[in-house]
Amino acid sequence: MGKTLTFLGIESSCDDTAAAVVRHDDGRAAAILSSVVAGQSAVHAAFGGVVPELAARAHVEKLDRCAEAALGEAGLRLEDLDGVAVTAGPGLIGGLLAGVMFAKGLAAGAGLPLIGVNHLAGHALTPRLTDGIGFPYLILLVSGGHCQFLVVRGAERFTRLGGTIDDAPGEAFDKVARLLGLPQPGGPAVEAEAAAGDPARFALPRPLLDRPGCDLSFSGLKTAVLRARDEAAARDGGLRRQDRADLCAAFQAAVAEVLAGKARRALAAFLAERPAEPVFAVAGGVAANGAVRSALQAAAAAAGARFLAPPLPLCTDNAAMIAWAGIERFRLGHADDLALSARPRWPLDTAAPALVGGGRKGARA
Amino acid sequence: MRPDAPVLAFDTSAAHCAAALLRGGEILAERAEPMERGQAERLMPMLAGMLAGQGLAWRDLGLIAVGTGPGNFTGVRLAVAAARGLAMSLGVPAVGVTALEAAAYGLPRPVLAALDARRGEVFLQLFDGAESPPPALARDDALPSWAFSAGAVAGDAAPRLAPVLGAVALAQPVPLAVAIGRLAALAAGAGAPPGRPAPLYLRAADAAPRREAPPELLP
Repeated sequence: MGKTLTFLGIESSCDDTAAAVVRHDDGRAAAILSSVVAGQSAVHAAFGGVVPELAARAHVEKLDRCAEAALGEAGLRLEDLDGVAVTAGPGLIGGLLAGVMFAKGLAAGAGLPLIGVNHLAGHALTPRLTDGIGFPYLILLVSGGHCQFLVVRGAERFTRLGGTIDDAPGEAFDKVARLLGLPQPGGPAVEAEAAAGDPARFALPRPLLDRPGCDLSFSGLKTAVLRARDEAAARDGGLRRQDRADLCAAFQAAVAEVLAGKARRALAAFLAERPAEPVFAVAGGVAANGAVRSALQAAAAAAGARFLAPPLPLCTDNAAMIAWAGIERFRLGHADDLALSARPRWPLDTAAPALVGGGRKGARA
Repeated sequence: MRPDAPVLAFDTSAAHCAAALLRGGEILAERAEPMERGQAERLMPMLAGMLAGQGLAWRDLGLIAVGTGPGNFTGVRLAVAAARGLAMSLGVPAVGVTALEAAAYGLPRPVLAALDARRGEVFLQLFDGAESPPPALARDDALPSWAFSAGAVAGDAAPRLAPVLGAVALAQPVPLAVAIGRLAALAAGAGAPPGRPAPLYLRAADAAPRREAPPELLP
């Protein structure tokens, strides 16, 4: 039985600066003592997505303030901690570097161990933070930057069953929102609009659903929405409100159906391993979408697996998951030194073939 | 800050890791390693090694001094983020010093600091002891009129600008990190509580506004 560990987590891999304190008594449930997230949506609102340089500029201004706030809310000082965990990849290099260097400064000055954490491992290990489940389990990471099915076998052992070969679903929601003149972030805007729409009026493709395996694709779906929008707008000299709602409903239904279809295959592959208490967990911001969530829930129920979705603030980017993943790594005896590198590309499963961003620099995620 | 407490100064705003450890007027250690990449990995181990070489620990430091650019965006952020982490964990101030201030350090006034900004541009600041215009980014072939008034120019763009300006090019008498450390110590000693060090970019991020507007929305 290990000792009680209290870690500060730091996250700056995309457009949220976050810091959190997590405490864990080995063998008991972990406690999130604080979790601070400073978003940047206003910074990027005028642009067609997250601008990496602007994100990095914002992170360097917010990291220490977030860390101070997280410690303050937890009522702790740095000397009460047992380690500092920081997202070292994958993600946008400017933000990763700011976070890693800030964490090095903190850890060095406070004499604390430094643990570099894979952002995807943070998401993938969140069900253990929130629900204390054991290994192995199946998880779908579905967010603005990622989409993959993983069997989580240990804090550092992941098997990827499949993932997107192009866009992530959250990215597709954002792009569809832009195409239809809806605000960012696109997920909630498209979902709200879809509530008044008919999902059957526009026929959209179900990319890769007819192919075996668990790989997914969302880029063509977005293009199909663009084509349908242009046809409707050319016909009427503008986009009718009802057309927009119907397009949103059709798009959301297609995403949900593709994810659920691939989830059924991932579940079948996972259940073939005969896990004792099969769990299908989902993490990432897209899990907040009601249609997606109920489709995944139904897939889990049909397969006889327990469905688990962490609360939304722990599904989207946060630092509690980084602190937790740091604790898990530390318990395995891992720590990094002051030479820790930021890794913009860092796949969890290095044995699986690259999905996106193969090529010279290696797999992205 | 205790007057005898060591000052740790560092800079990664260009193709180097530069650092100095100072106490009072004394230079305890100074290093500048040229490198195109790898500053993120090298900086903190290099600082730790310099402290250890003097038998000092991080907690012995009284002040962190950091170069805030202008220069390489990512490089500037590396050092500033590390400085802010150290300041928070050590409970000591971190003071930012610009590369322009450092280039003009110890030189007679008036002097123009001029740093290469690539793309045929320079970062400029006039130091004349009185109220000076704020630092600026200028094209080599469209220098502001105030740049011509100093008669002396310092910084890595000085050799190329001196003939154009009809000015004397001056060499910086001390290493960059030493200048940063001394200027930060002066600022910290002046009493005003220093704000958190922040990068000085002087150049906007490359970011294109959204291109395509969605079609007009009909009822």
